[in-house]
Amino acid sequence: MKSPIKTKPTVWDGLVALLVVFTAIACAAMVWGGSGSGALTAVLFVDGKETEQIPLANLRSQERSILANGYTLHLSLTAEALWMESANCPTQDCVHSGKISRSGQSIVCLPARVSLQLKGNTADGVDAVLG
Amino acid sequence: MKRFVIICMAALLSLGTTGCGTISPDQAHESVQTFAMDTAMIFSAYGSGGTKAAYAAEAEVQRLDALLSRTREDSAVSQLNAAGGAEVGVGAEVCALLSAANTYTTATGGAFDITIAPVASAWGFTEAAYRVPSQAEVESLLQTVGPEHVRWRAMDPTSAVSGMASLDADCKIDLGGIAKGYASDQVAKIFRENAVPSGMVSLGGNVWVCGSRPDGKPWRVAVQDPKNSENYAAVLNLSESFAVTSGGYQRFFEENGKTYHHILDPATGYPADSGLTSVTVVSAESGTMCDALSTALFVLGEEKALDFWRNGSYDFQLVMVTADGRVVATAGLADAFEEVKGSGYTYEIAH
Repeated sequence: MKSPIKTKPTVWDGLVALLVVFTAIACAAMVWGGSGSGALTAVLFVDGKETEQIPLANLRSQERSILANGYTLHLSLTAEALWMESANCPTQDCVHSGKISRSGQSIVCLPARVSLQLKGNTADGVDAVLG
Repeated sequence: MKRFVIICMAALLSLGTTGCGTISPDQAHESVQTFAMDTAMIFSAYGSGGTKAAYAAEAEVQRLDALLSRTREDSAVSQLNAAGGAEVGVGAEVCALLSAANTYTTATGGAFDITIAPVASAWGFTEAAYRVPSQAEVESLLQTVGPEHVRWRAMDPTSAVSGMASLDADCKIDLGGIAKGYASDQVAKIFRENAVPSGMVSLGGNVWVCGSRPDGKPWRVAVQDPKNSENYAAVLNLSESFAVTSGGYQRFFEENGKTYHHILDPATGYPADSGLTSVTVVSAESGTMCDALSTALFVLGEEKALDFWRNGSYDFQLVMVTADGRVVATAGLADAFEEVKGSGYTYEIAH
C-alpha cells in the first residue's frame, strides 16, 4: 500500500525555494547590474588599448612607473584610491587630477596618451564624470 | 538525501540559466577608447549593433579631429588659419560649424567666440607653454577677436569644393569650444543608425547618454567638484541627454601665487572671473549647443546665465557651481538632480 503524498510544505521546501531565489537574484545582479559591477578595479589604457587591470581590494600601497610615448608617469595606488604622484609631461593635467577613489572616475595624461579608469560597484558609483 | 539532490540541482539550474556570462544580443556590450581632440574618449554601446556603432564612432571622431584640429597642420582649420586672409576651401561641414559658432557668439553677446584663439595661444593654453602675457599684448591681440573677422560661403553641393572661408589677416580660429559637442552629435547619429538601445559616450568633459542603462535606470553622471577632484558636486540621473561641463579647474597654471585658468573672456582677453567655478549644460537636443553654451555661460556668470536660460531661446538646463559654495540647478533638472551629502555645498533650484 502506497504511503499518502505529503502536500504541506516543510521547512526544507522553503529553504530550497529561498536558495533558488537567492541564487537567481545574485546571478542576475552580476550579469544585469550594469556597468561597474564587482570590486573596484583600476584599468590602465595606453594609446586607447587596455594594458592592465589592477584590483584595488587588499592592495598594499605602492608606486608604479608608466612609460608611454616618451613620458614617465609615477602612479601611486592604495586599496582605496590612486593618483599621479608626478609626471614629466608638459601639461601636468594628470597630476592636477588628484586622487580618484570612485567608480567612473579617471585620470588622463594626453601627452603620454595614458588613461586610468576606476571601475567597480561602489555605493556612490557613477557611470561617467563631467569635467 | 533526496532534498540534498534537489537543492544541488536547483542551484545548478539557477547558475546555468542566469550566470556564466550568458547575455542576450540586446545586452551585448562594446567599449572602445581612443585619444582625439586633445582628450580621452570612451564609446560604450550595448545591443547587437553596439560593436559596429562603437568602432564607427571612433572613426568619426578621428575624422573630425583631422578636419577641425588647430594643432594638426593638415586640418582644414589650420589651413584656414595659415591662409593669411586668403579664401580657402574648407568644405561644407566646416562652413556649417562656422555658421553655428557665429550664431552662438551673437546669442551670448560675444561670450563664446572662436576667434579668441590668438589670445589663448599668448597665454600658452594651446601649446601647454603657459605664461602671463602683458596687458599691451592682450589688447593688441583682441583687435582681431570677433565674428566680423570670419567669412564663409557654402557652395553648390555638386562643386568640388563645397565650402569656402576666409579670415582677416592675423585672425585665427579655434573650434575647440564646439568641436567635441559637434562630435557627440555625430556619434549620437551613428548610435541611432545602428539602433543602439543603450550606451554612454564620454568625450572628455562632454557626455552623451543613449537611452537608459541596461538595467532600465537612468545613467548616473556626476558633476566633478571643482575644488576637489576626488569629490562630486552633484549627480545627474540622465537618459537620452547631452551634458557638457566647462570649468576653470580643467586647465590652469600658477604664476607668482596666482592661478590662471583656460576659459578666457573674449571681452578682456583674461581668464573669466565670473564667480563660477563650473557650468554644466544639459539638453536632449544638441551636443554642439551644450558645448558652446557651457563656455559662454561660464564667462557670463550666474545671473546672466540664468537670464539666458529664462529667456527660452534655447532648450537646455543648467548646473552651476559657484565660488561661494553653492550648486544652482535649473528647475527642469529637479527630478534628475541628486545632492551629494558632505560635499560642503548648499543646493538651490532656480526657477
